[in-house]
Amino acid sequence: MFESLPYHALNGVYYGFILFMIAAGLTIVFGVLGVLNLAHGELYAFGAFVAFSIVGYLTGLVAEPTGPVTALIFGAVVLVGSLAAAAVLLPVGATLEAAFVRPIYDRDDVYQLLLTYALLLILTDVMKFVWGAKPLDVGVYDGLNAIPTTELFGIDYPTYNVVVVAVGLVVFGWLVWFFDRTKTGRIVRATAIDREMATAIGVSTDRIFTLVFAMGAFFAGFGGAMVSIGPGSAYLEMGLSPLVLSFVVIVIGGLGSLRGALVGALLVGVTTQVVTPYYSELELAVPFVLMVVVLLVRPEGLYGTWGEIE
Amino acid sequence: MSDPLLEVSNLTATVAGFEVTHGIDLEVGEGEAVALVGRNGAGKTSTFRSIMGLTPIAGGSIRFDGEELTDLRSELIPKRGIGYQPEGRDLFTGMTVEENFRLPIWTAGDARGIDDEDAVVEDVFDLFTELENRRDAEVQNLSGGQGKMTAIGRALALQPDLLILDEPLEGLAPVVVENLKSYIREIIDRDISVLVAESNASHVPEIVDRMYVIERGEIVDSGDPDDLVQDEEIQLLMQGGGT
Repeated sequence: MFESLPYHALNGVYYGFILFMIAAGLTIVFGVLGVLNLAHGELYAFGAFVAFSIVGYLTGLVAEPTGPVTALIFGAVVLVGSLAAAAVLLPVGATLEAAFVRPIYDRDDVYQLLLTYALLLILTDVMKFVWGAKPLDVGVYDGLNAIPTTELFGIDYPTYNVVVVAVGLVVFGWLVWFFDRTKTGRIVRATAIDREMATAIGVSTDRIFTLVFAMGAFFAGFGGAMVSIGPGSAYLEMGLSPLVLSFVVIVIGGLGSLRGALVGALLVGVTTQVVTPYYSELELAVPFVLMVVVLLVRPEGLYGTWGEIE
Repeated sequence: MSDPLLEVSNLTATVAGFEVTHGIDLEVGEGEAVALVGRNGAGKTSTFRSIMGLTPIAGGSIRFDGEELTDLRSELIPKRGIGYQPEGRDLFTGMTVEENFRLPIWTAGDARGIDDEDAVVEDVFDLFTELENRRDAEVQNLSGGQGKMTAIGRALALQPDLLILDEPLEGLAPVVVENLKSYIREIIDRDISVLVAESNASHVPEIVDRMYVIERGEIVDSGDPDDLVQDEEIQLLMQGGGT
């Protein structure tokens, strides 16, 4: 019964890194701005749609893969296209923050939730207007099937999934480096820790908030682009489930904690992917049971740093 | 008095819509050390926060080096040359002492004309020698005195023309208070103007040239610290009596 357990566990790691990329943006925005962004899932979906357009254009410039080498080139083009799609989300995030989110920082949390829910609806309609209401499934990524599988622990595993895990690790490493080592990253942390004092040493909190919201949108979009490539489709409702699971992830990991987001994402990813194939009726319950257990043991989450980036 | 570097006129600050200071007038000259003395809740912190643009004002003027500060966004005020140590220290936790010193240079160093970041940081450590072997300690692990020194050092790293110190001696052991007084005197000797808030008037004559007395959001007296500290009415006021 459990012969395929290692395969499901690998899927869990893959899914965990996808969740991490989405949750990282969510936790950074919450940690610094103190805003729970309900539109984060739509930014993720937006990334997937933009990726289809950009990658569709780019792959049209290269020949269809005929062997492993050309398939790898095709894969690299897809990856670059995904990064470009996420980059499109930078100005989108910056504009949303400056135009809509900034005026309500001092308001009650309810206003923030209502506003970001409104943004969720607006973004959904924008995507419907640009790409239509039907799911996109145009075979843009079919060339990836020509890439040979990778053998991991004696299992033939899709190379694309391995690349996603590697990219997730790079994203985590980059974020830790950015917040721990760079001047800008430490200024962002200082702003998260004490907004007023940051102002009193010359930090423009408006600029920092715009930067952070744009970063959050970037990672949401990148996650959306990466996840849409696997099944090769994008659809309007695709942001809902990852958004809910990302909330679970950052609550498990500790609000505002990057390390917590990674550990939480892997816990949720592996647990759901390992349990669901055998007990499909538990699919919805598993992540929430996990969250309840963690909160009972550690109410502040595994790496609880409320309101701070760590 | 020398030419005023800071000139606060008729300042009315508000907190949650309520006036907490009423027509404050005070001046600090170039290279001068001035104290604002008053009981807890008298309006010292509100006055300082208004100068830094952190507490809204309902009226009045704050001029620094000839420029009206009330027209500026708050983050530009430190860039004009005002360093601020808040009452509660408000250090950036999770970061080291050295990082706390470097942050203001990263954010306002260009505006302050700081070319050599390392030299400024070492200069601050040279002043606060006690912090030298704690430079890599995260600030939440510091003692009370070390925390105050770090908060003052962070303000000093801006290379300010005016240093605003809000209750730097409050809550510290007597021996630490004496240490901090000597550090503050050393800062004043470097020709940096200092505006310091104190709720214990007895500390003030050793540090400053002039002092203002604030009570219920109004300046009620000003003058020579030695004279004012000896004044019976002022003593009564500081103990909670008087008008």
